[in-house]
Amino acid sequence: MKQVTLKIENISKIFKDYKGNEVRAVDNITFDIKPGEFVTLLGPSGCGKTTTLRMIAGFEKPTNGRILINDVNVVEIPPWKRDTAMVFQSYGLFPHMNVGDNVAYGLKMRKLPKEEIQRRVSEILRIVGLEGFENRPPSSLSGGQQQRIALARALVVEPSVLLFDEPLSNLDVLLREQMRVEIKRIQKEVGITAVYVTHDRTEALTLSDKIVLMKGGKIEQIGSAEDVYERPMNRFVAEFMGKINFVPVEVVEILRDETIVKLKNRTYKIPSLPTAHSDSYVLGCRPEAMRITADGPIDGKIKTIVYMGNFSEYYVDTEYGEIMIKVNPPFDKALSEGKNVKVDIVSEIVKVIPDRE
Amino acid sequence: MEERNWKIIKFIAVIVVVFAVLFWVRTTIRNEFSRLSRENSLELARSVASVDPDLLNEKFPEIYYYISYFDGRENENAKVSQLLKKLPDYEYGQENAMYEEFYISNQTVKFNGKEYFAIFAPIDKDYEVIGVMVQLHDAENTLKLLRTIDIMFLIVFALFIIAFAIGTFSIDPVTTYAIIITFAVALTFVVYPLYEAVKLTFARTGNFTFDVWKTVLTETSYLKSFGNSILLGALTATVSTVIGFLFAFVVTRTTIKGKKFVSLMANLPMISPPFSLTLSLILLFGSNGLITKQLLNLKWDIYGLDGLVISQTMGMFPIAYLTMLGVLESIDSTLEEASMNLGASRWKVFRTVTLPLATPGLLSSWLLVFTNSIADFANPLMLGGKFNVLSVTAYLEVTGMNRLDRGAALSLLLLLPTMTAFYLQRYIVNKKSYVTVTGKPSGRIVEIVSPGVKKMLSIVVYVIAIFLVALYSTIFMGCFVKNWGVDYSFTLSNIVEALQRGKDALLDTTILAAIAMPIAGVFAMVVAFLFVRKKFPGKKLLQGLVLLPFSIPGTLIGISYVIAFNKPPLILVGTAAIIVINYIIRELPVGVEGGVATLKQIDPSIEEAAQNLGANPQTVFSTIILPLIRPAFISSLSYTFVRAMTAVSAVVFLVSAQWYHITLQIYNFSENLRFGLASVLSSVLIIIILTVFGLLRLFVRKSEYLEKTIIS
Repeated sequence: MKQVTLKIENISKIFKDYKGNEVRAVDNITFDIKPGEFVTLLGPSGCGKTTTLRMIAGFEKPTNGRILINDVNVVEIPPWKRDTAMVFQSYGLFPHMNVGDNVAYGLKMRKLPKEEIQRRVSEILRIVGLEGFENRPPSSLSGGQQQRIALARALVVEPSVLLFDEPLSNLDVLLREQMRVEIKRIQKEVGITAVYVTHDRTEALTLSDKIVLMKGGKIEQIGSAEDVYERPMNRFVAEFMGKINFVPVEVVEILRDETIVKLKNRTYKIPSLPTAHSDSYVLGCRPEAMRITADGPIDGKIKTIVYMGNFSEYYVDTEYGEIMIKVNPPFDKALSEGKNVKVDIVSEIVKVIPDRE
Repeated sequence: MEERNWKIIKFIAVIVVVFAVLFWVRTTIRNEFSRLSRENSLELARSVASVDPDLLNEKFPEIYYYISYFDGRENENAKVSQLLKKLPDYEYGQENAMYEEFYISNQTVKFNGKEYFAIFAPIDKDYEVIGVMVQLHDAENTLKLLRTIDIMFLIVFALFIIAFAIGTFSIDPVTTYAIIITFAVALTFVVYPLYEAVKLTFARTGNFTFDVWKTVLTETSYLKSFGNSILLGALTATVSTVIGFLFAFVVTRTTIKGKKFVSLMANLPMISPPFSLTLSLILLFGSNGLITKQLLNLKWDIYGLDGLVISQTMGMFPIAYLTMLGVLESIDSTLEEASMNLGASRWKVFRTVTLPLATPGLLSSWLLVFTNSIADFANPLMLGGKFNVLSVTAYLEVTGMNRLDRGAALSLLLLLPTMTAFYLQRYIVNKKSYVTVTGKPSGRIVEIVSPGVKKMLSIVVYVIAIFLVALYSTIFMGCFVKNWGVDYSFTLSNIVEALQRGKDALLDTTILAAIAMPIAGVFAMVVAFLFVRKKFPGKKLLQGLVLLPFSIPGTLIGISYVIAFNKPPLILVGTAAIIVINYIIRELPVGVEGGVATLKQIDPSIEEAAQNLGANPQTVFSTIILPLIRPAFISSLSYTFVRAMTAVSAVVFLVSAQWYHITLQIYNFSENLRFGLASVLSSVLIIIILTVFGLLRLFVRKSEYLEKTIIS
């Protein structure tokens, strides 16, 4: 496989909306990707992730900045001369060609000899598990099969960079999990550099070597799945990666590998450092990192209890807003909706996070 | 950034080299031309010099000359001599002449406001030079030619710079070229002729004046024509809309027998040649018609307003029918069913549910037929009689009176109602507020009319359909009748004669239509592609320009083409090119609209996937776009072909002795009462159209895509 690096340098994209106002879809972002790395652009819709991907493919031209594939600036190069291949959200299969012709399209554009095209098409169809489908029209295939054809069509040209634009969002849940595993397997098998766009954090967490979390055209955090999930740089990242409660605290002292914080009159020793420096901090507490106790510092009132079988979710109104607590059985029958309770944190698994969005 | 600088350097280098080459070519051509014209002048000078000086004024009145004899005598043109002495090579010229050599000056002399070459010629007497004659030869034409070469050179250079700049600096040069070419075509063949036509109506011998418009807007006969056009339009539109609605209603809302036949008859006039129905109406109801004269012996004949309304309605109610068919099909029958469920009577359901829902459709078909009717030229030309309409009046001004300016003004006047109606119709269609579209037309039919009404409706529809059949049969019968109106005996001689005399026109028409067909088809799809998928400055303007010919009457296009393309820089009148261009420009809007509608249904990521896999825009277009929009492409092809084969209103101004049109031949034959010949040519035309149509449909059928009918 080709050893390909991809560098995104100070890329911006400014669109004009229908009123003629300027909209910064992508706002001066920079990151780079090592050979064979699988990078996910993650973020809510409108965060600029798809625009970034389309700029890498060449469908959009950046307003500013450089895109370097193997240290060559490709900004002025049209899509058909770039060595990228994309797997589209809606597959983008050619409806008037059969599966074989679909997969062979890119190879024909590269004017390869017929025998080689044939060899490579059947080889890639074997890899994606669709041997012998050459003569079927794409419309006769299931969604998952179509997606694999789209993947095969992109992979067969052996592109420098493989691009995915929310490829699984049109599939049902079961198929999505299956395809996720498939994509990971195939990407590792061919060892290709890949950029993957999604708004689904589970996809991002399971697939990526590196996650680029974006919001409003800017990068919020870059890091491994563990980095982003466990060491969020701010409240937005923490919240985006899963349900979390924020409790404002005062940082008393930062030691070598632990932080002393004060919540009301109580002091806690948190066994990790703040995820980033800031003037003020909050405690990021996942629902499993809070519990209802008789002597907790936070006063609240149970609003709703949602029974989930192997656990229950307690929604408690407190001075810090609504807090969600995951409670494992056995359930205390005395804790019913409308009851006043006290809430405490489980200091071993909470994080000190800068109090900023 | 270095890359960009490198590109700029390369760009400038190539431009400089190309400039040098072009400049060399230009200088060579220029020198060659000026050498040739100098030689011509010298040739002439020799014959001038050989004439006895006393007879010069008589034999070569256009040549000024000045003679000085060595004995001191001079002739009267002393004024010239002062000018000549300013020439730097005056002395040299004199010397040459003394040695019996003709000499032409390097510079020109300005005299009486014109440029001249000065030629020094010896005057001999008894083999001895006794004086020098300086002749002034007109250099204006030569200088003009040289200037033209310079301008051409500059234009070529400018075009090269533009094209090369796009090729170097644009990421997607092919698309940029396509956009620029489309703009150039629209400006050259839509805006420029219209501008020239408007300009002509305000200019007389170079001065700005309102004279033409004053005449056109005050003279009663012109105003009468205008009023007649509107009246005819309103009547035809009303009758056609009613009939079209009836047909559509019967087809979508009742279960009568023979629906296929009814809808076939409602489609056929769309593709039949303009004079064919008119011709059979004349055969049946003309002053010597089979029914009016032979059978009933009536005083009434078809010529005039009543006949025009009948013939236009027969030809144009299909427009209303197809529009209403679409509207009625998209109104969900369950709405009618529901209100019937609620206890409304059938009539009430029709009045309170069906009719209000169909109103925008009715309005839109009325306006469409109205536009078509007042822009119509063929029917009024043949059937108008004393009833003059604007399109024919404009035509007669141009061809009969040779008053292009008034013809232009009258056809511009015609633009007013057509454009208003057209854009009003657009507005109604785009609002779409009323029609409830449920996606698929439901196959189930709710009978919302009582059996009695149904019977009545079907009788009306059948009568009209059968009337159309009768009209078409009349044309075919006309082929075999010796002398219609006088002698109804059987003959085949018409066919032989018509084919002999119409062969060339038939061939011309088919060739030109066949040339226009693929060009218009591909061009329409390219333009549709640009409109749907590309963003570029001036897109809205370009869309407006491309769609503009839709609303322009053919008469105006014809007249403005004659005005604009009968003079430099583009002299096209008389060529086949102008006819083909006219077809393409006029039929482009329909093709583009069809292409746009189809393209909008295609997921853009299909094209992006192709680009992404290494296909450049032209490859994407030919391997992905064109196959996917094949139905629109084929229907654009067949539409262009049919319209080109049946064109009259614009083409009547553009035909020439070399390139004639079959419809005009049909018209000429029937004007000369050779109805048999006209019938044969009409029949042949119908057969050609149906054959090509059938072949093209076969193409669409082969694929799995939905078939599309053509809609005017």
